[in-house]
Amino acid sequence: MSTQLNQTLIDIRGVTKTYFSGSVETRVLHGIDLQVTRGDFVSIMGQSGSGKSTLMNILGCLDQATGGSYVLDGVDTRSLSRAQLADIRNRSIGFVFQSFNLIKRMSVAENVALPLIYAGMGRGKAHARALQELERVGLGGLAKRTPSQLSGGQQQRVAIARALATDPPMLLADEPTGNLDTQTSDDIMNSFRQLNAERGITIVLVTHEADVAAYSRRLVRLKDGRVLYDGPSVEGLRQLNPHHAEVLA
Amino acid sequence: MNFIQVLIESFRSMAANRLRTALTMLGIIIGIASVVLLLAIGDSMQRFIGKELQQLGTNMVYVFPGGDRTTAQRARAGSVPSLSTMDAAALNALPSLTGAAPALQGSFKLSAGNESSNSQVHGVTPAMFKIRNWKLDQGNLFSEADVRASSRMVVIGQKVADQFFYKSDPLGRYIRIENVAFQVIGVLAGEGKQIDGSDIAELVLVPITAASANLIKMPFPQNVHYIAAQGRPDMSLKEAEEDIKETLRVRHRIRIDSPDDFKVQNMASFAETANKISAGVALLLGMIGAISLLVGGIGIMNIMLVSVTERTREIGIRMAIGARPGAVLLQFLAESVVICVAGGLVGVLIAMAGAAAITATGKFDVFLTFQGVLVACGFASAVGVFFGFYPARRASRLLPVDCLRYE
Repeated sequence: MSTQLNQTLIDIRGVTKTYFSGSVETRVLHGIDLQVTRGDFVSIMGQSGSGKSTLMNILGCLDQATGGSYVLDGVDTRSLSRAQLADIRNRSIGFVFQSFNLIKRMSVAENVALPLIYAGMGRGKAHARALQELERVGLGGLAKRTPSQLSGGQQQRVAIARALATDPPMLLADEPTGNLDTQTSDDIMNSFRQLNAERGITIVLVTHEADVAAYSRRLVRLKDGRVLYDGPSVEGLRQLNPHHAEVLA
Repeated sequence: MNFIQVLIESFRSMAANRLRTALTMLGIIIGIASVVLLLAIGDSMQRFIGKELQQLGTNMVYVFPGGDRTTAQRARAGSVPSLSTMDAAALNALPSLTGAAPALQGSFKLSAGNESSNSQVHGVTPAMFKIRNWKLDQGNLFSEADVRASSRMVVIGQKVADQFFYKSDPLGRYIRIENVAFQVIGVLAGEGKQIDGSDIAELVLVPITAASANLIKMPFPQNVHYIAAQGRPDMSLKEAEEDIKETLRVRHRIRIDSPDDFKVQNMASFAETANKISAGVALLLGMIGAISLLVGGIGIMNIMLVSVTERTREIGIRMAIGARPGAVLLQFLAESVVICVAGGLVGVLIAMAGAAAITATGKFDVFLTFQGVLVACGFASAVGVFFGFYPARRASRLLPVDCLRYE
């Protein structure tokens, strides 16, 4: 039983999210159930307004659900303070964003070292660890550059290195290839696949591109704040667009 | 995130916006420079006025016979106006006084040649010259021997000399006081009102013994009209006053429940008023400085608020990768404190230059005290914390999801 609990990294039950704007209530999520085991590779798809970004923010502890429960890595996140949530994000979640979200005036290495510094690591040690992580994504030689001196693909690799710096069990990627060309997208997705296969890192990514979702093992489709499909990616994508899915297969 | 890391971060973000940082700092530089300089000017002015007052004789204590009682009461109690030259000698020996000297005074008709006028004549001892800081322009003062011999000599002020011996040498000439001839042996230097209202240039000074023998008849030959005493500059005048009272009460054998048969007056209240005024001016100057510092602080707050808004996305990124609200708060707070302390240091340097410039004009000396500089630095960091706190707290309270959405 305990091993099984341990195997479940994300356990979301009946999560709702309602935005209040004055007297207007907008319900974005209508009771989402989602369990993700360690080592899984999940895509979340949905049209804009389906609630996928909101779900992503809740999964990343960047936002809190209005109702329901979210247990991440055995920790119930509903009762946590903002500081504790910050620690969870630092330790357990690595973020990869569509627009890379690197801090422009810092060097590449400093960007990667930042989560380690927030984790309390000394400057020298954090820097050494950051260089290691940059080597892993193949950017060891660019450590001293600033993000603006890198291509989009390189910036996203830096972001991945940063996300992995504190060795979290999970990567959350929000449209990670949205700003990249096809070739670079494939490179990035291959890196994700590799990280998942070799380091056993759980990956949850939000995308609206079937090509990207095709890299994942499991697909969750949302519509109007509800789960429409939750199953193998191949099957899910075939439902979505039979012709396209065949091409991918 | 440790302290050094926080500092490095703030230097970086300051460096990223050099012009803005410089302009923000300018507000603090001007604020601190004016606070430090104006406080120093105020302080130096107070010291300058204090010194001038001391030269005027604010450390003087006058003792008069009679106390607060009326003549009738005094008569009933059987005491007489009772200050004597022996009292003066006893006070002269007090350690809290630099000296004490007895004096007689009265208004008499002076004449020489065709000139005549009514003047105050003081019977004094050589000690009085020292206490009152009277300097001679020409001639000599009378000696203790002259006092013992009741020599009929007189030392006069410039105006008296001009009146009776216009354009000629007064030394060796005679002035008749109530038809008794006194030989002029010295002329006092300077003119101007003294602390007791008399003008140095109008003084007529004779040996106290000569005054009592020829001019002023007292009930007892040792009686004097008043005793002038000078408090030591390094001791409080109040203490000196207490010593005087105690000494005289013992000497006059006054019972513990009886009032004094003499009255002590000091010039300290005058000095106090003058000091109050100069302290008020110093306070005013400090306040003007404080206002410019306040304006600088508001500038800091303004810029920090802009900076928080401008860096909303960065705040979101930092929060996403694990910055606690406290770390965000500390980062922005550190930035404003660093700006203020750096500005404060430059401000102190400018104030030093300003003080040197004022001193160089020779009008009066302005010193920056180490204490003042410390206070200024403390003030600068306090301004940084005070005006940086609100923007920093605002940054720390932002929600990561909102920040990341911010364009």
